[in-house]
Amino acid sequence: MPIEVKMAKLSPTMESGQLVKWLVKVGDKVKEGDTLAEVQTDKAVMPMESFDDGVVAVLDVKEGDEIALGQRVLVLAKKGEDPKAVASSVGQGKAAPAKAAAAATSAAPPQAAPAHADSTLVAGNGHDSSAVAAVTASSAGGRVRSSPLARKIAGSEGIDLAQVAGSGPNGRVIRRDVEAYLAQAKASPKAAPAAAIAGAARQSKRIPHSRMRKTIADRMQKAKQAAPEIHVTVDIRMDKVVEIRETLNKRLAAEKIKLSLGDFVTKAVATALVKHPGVNASYEPDAIVEHGTVNVGIAVALEGGLIVPVLQNADRLGLREIRIGTEALAVAARSNKLTPAQMTGGTFTISNLGMYGVRQFDAILNLPEVGILAVGSVEKRPVVEGDKLVVGTIMTVTITADHRAVDGALAAEFLRSVKEFLEEPAAMLL
Amino acid sequence: MPVIAYREALNQAMTEEMERDDRVFLMGEEVAEYDGAYKVSQGMLAKFGPRRVIDTPISESGFAGIGIGAAMVGLRPIVEFMTFSFSLVAIDQIVNNAANMRYMSGGQFTIPIVFRGSSGMAGALAATHSHRLEAWYAQIPGLTVVLPSTPADAKGLLKSAIRSDDPVVFIENEVLYADKGEVPEGEHLVPIGKADIKRAGSDVTLITYSRSLHATLAAAERLAADEGIEAEVVDLRTIRPLDLETILASVVKTHRAVIVEEDWPYCGIGAGVSDRIYRSVFDELDAPIARVAAKDAPIPYSRALESTMLPSADRVIAAVKEVLYRG
Repeated sequence: MPIEVKMAKLSPTMESGQLVKWLVKVGDKVKEGDTLAEVQTDKAVMPMESFDDGVVAVLDVKEGDEIALGQRVLVLAKKGEDPKAVASSVGQGKAAPAKAAAAATSAAPPQAAPAHADSTLVAGNGHDSSAVAAVTASSAGGRVRSSPLARKIAGSEGIDLAQVAGSGPNGRVIRRDVEAYLAQAKASPKAAPAAAIAGAARQSKRIPHSRMRKTIADRMQKAKQAAPEIHVTVDIRMDKVVEIRETLNKRLAAEKIKLSLGDFVTKAVATALVKHPGVNASYEPDAIVEHGTVNVGIAVALEGGLIVPVLQNADRLGLREIRIGTEALAVAARSNKLTPAQMTGGTFTISNLGMYGVRQFDAILNLPEVGILAVGSVEKRPVVEGDKLVVGTIMTVTITADHRAVDGALAAEFLRSVKEFLEEPAAMLL
Repeated sequence: MPVIAYREALNQAMTEEMERDDRVFLMGEEVAEYDGAYKVSQGMLAKFGPRRVIDTPISESGFAGIGIGAAMVGLRPIVEFMTFSFSLVAIDQIVNNAANMRYMSGGQFTIPIVFRGSSGMAGALAATHSHRLEAWYAQIPGLTVVLPSTPADAKGLLKSAIRSDDPVVFIENEVLYADKGEVPEGEHLVPIGKADIKRAGSDVTLITYSRSLHATLAAAERLAADEGIEAEVVDLRTIRPLDLETILASVVKTHRAVIVEEDWPYCGIGAGVSDRIYRSVFDELDAPIARVAAKDAPIPYSRALESTMLPSADRVIAAVKEVLYRG
């Protein structure tokens, strides 16, 4: 029998944990006492140890996932068991609901669903969480809060309750909602079947503003109202950065540190900000304040919002420190563990949508900062070199600057510096 | 039909039953010479003499036990507790002996006894003298528990209780003793185990008993006048055995229920009745059952604080609006 490793209580008050980092992958041999993962509890990041020997067959959760106590996080194949066979046997039971959910919630061809389930099984890492996510999504859509009487009437009238908007507490569908729906259906008998088909899969939802949503809405609106913006865009060749990154990452492999292209952008921006203090500034009614420190805010997307933790004194950090610092901030942001110090003091912001394949976009200012850099993806594009067309690795960045403080020429000069530093990374050493 | 007070209706019931059956007698503190602490037994000593209307010492456990013994050998005692708060010292007699004797003796002994007396929050009686113990007794198989809310029900139910061959816990309410109402003369029997619809309605079922009936009826009239809500008011009258049939018929009609009681909320009658409703007609409910009960705390001595503990028409109206999903 394979061993199912479940989330244990790592602190006395822990109710759930967040997987910070997997320290094993599918196929790894583990011994009793080996650390399997790092888990953020309500108190601290704790190591999660194995109580058994075996080979990792399945990882059920992804890094950053929230794990309930007792939830299965991985499966170990015991000695003599084939990890792949274990993976398909333990995975199948879990994949089945996903199949059903897919069939129930969409008109997917019947063959497509099992194929999808199988491919996620083979993927191993995180496959189960995708299956779980599918089930949850379908149950969130399929489980309609309703009074027993509303269900009874809906049942006898053949109404799908998911189509009925609930007016009770928490959107509970109650008798009057079903009756109103019925009355409407009778009033427009022809429209009803069409609505039924279209409405079967989805229903309108009203999502009350979270505190974060309110803050974002408020700050974005104020920025747009207060600051006359200017946008300046530049293409940057990233061939050398890509090359250096590979070299450095080989060196850092032993430390399990992997620099991202974004880290180089952070470094170049911080260095350029030192050179152009007018961009590392705040606009105040009676003065422009050029800051003595360079603190780069890095936008982190969260479920239902975003937050901008701040990498303090980014100009003084090497790439290694930038990576470690950025990683720590992102983890803290996603686990809602940012300290006030990690969220304040920013002097410039970077917003990177490169990982989504975005070529170019404009960001909105993070007031009172006077500049924010929108970073697109690093991609191969045709480039004219002299009179020849070659393939180059290009990244497009756009600065949004507060024109009250930053004129077009200054914005362009700043971008030229960023471009120079990234196209000739050695220049950052000067 | 003559209009008489609740206490007179009880007096009529006992007097008529003692005239009808000479095995019936009354026993308790101050029931004879003093004509009853609440004048329920007024004139009964003069009428029936000290063999059948007996003053006891302050010894509830003792005279409850004597009553049970008398019932075992063929008499039909009425044991009066000055208040049911004092029955706590006799609860072993009531629960262990009265409720279980028929069962334990394999049917050799029946216990045709009535334990009766006042109860409830009667105005600055404080925590130890304001108990509502109906839920305690209603939990016991072998006991019948009756709580009349009107003079007519008081008479009709007490006569039925005295004629019952099994122990009846007959709980009056001190505040109701002076209430007046039409009461049929002579042979007026209200069956045990039958609830009564005190007000018909179609929008919501209000389930209540004893003194709380009055706040509930007041709420129902205000709901009709101010909100156009027609509440059906079910007076349980007997809480063990429960007239589930009447309750369910009403809830099936209105699809929502509010239970109003003077007792505490936790493990109270409302809890038990909700359970029965949920399990029986779950699919008929359009809203969770709401409950209005005493606040979950000792009963304060202060009249002002005590009044906030009681179910009031305002609290009932708020609960009705909740189950009707109205602001």
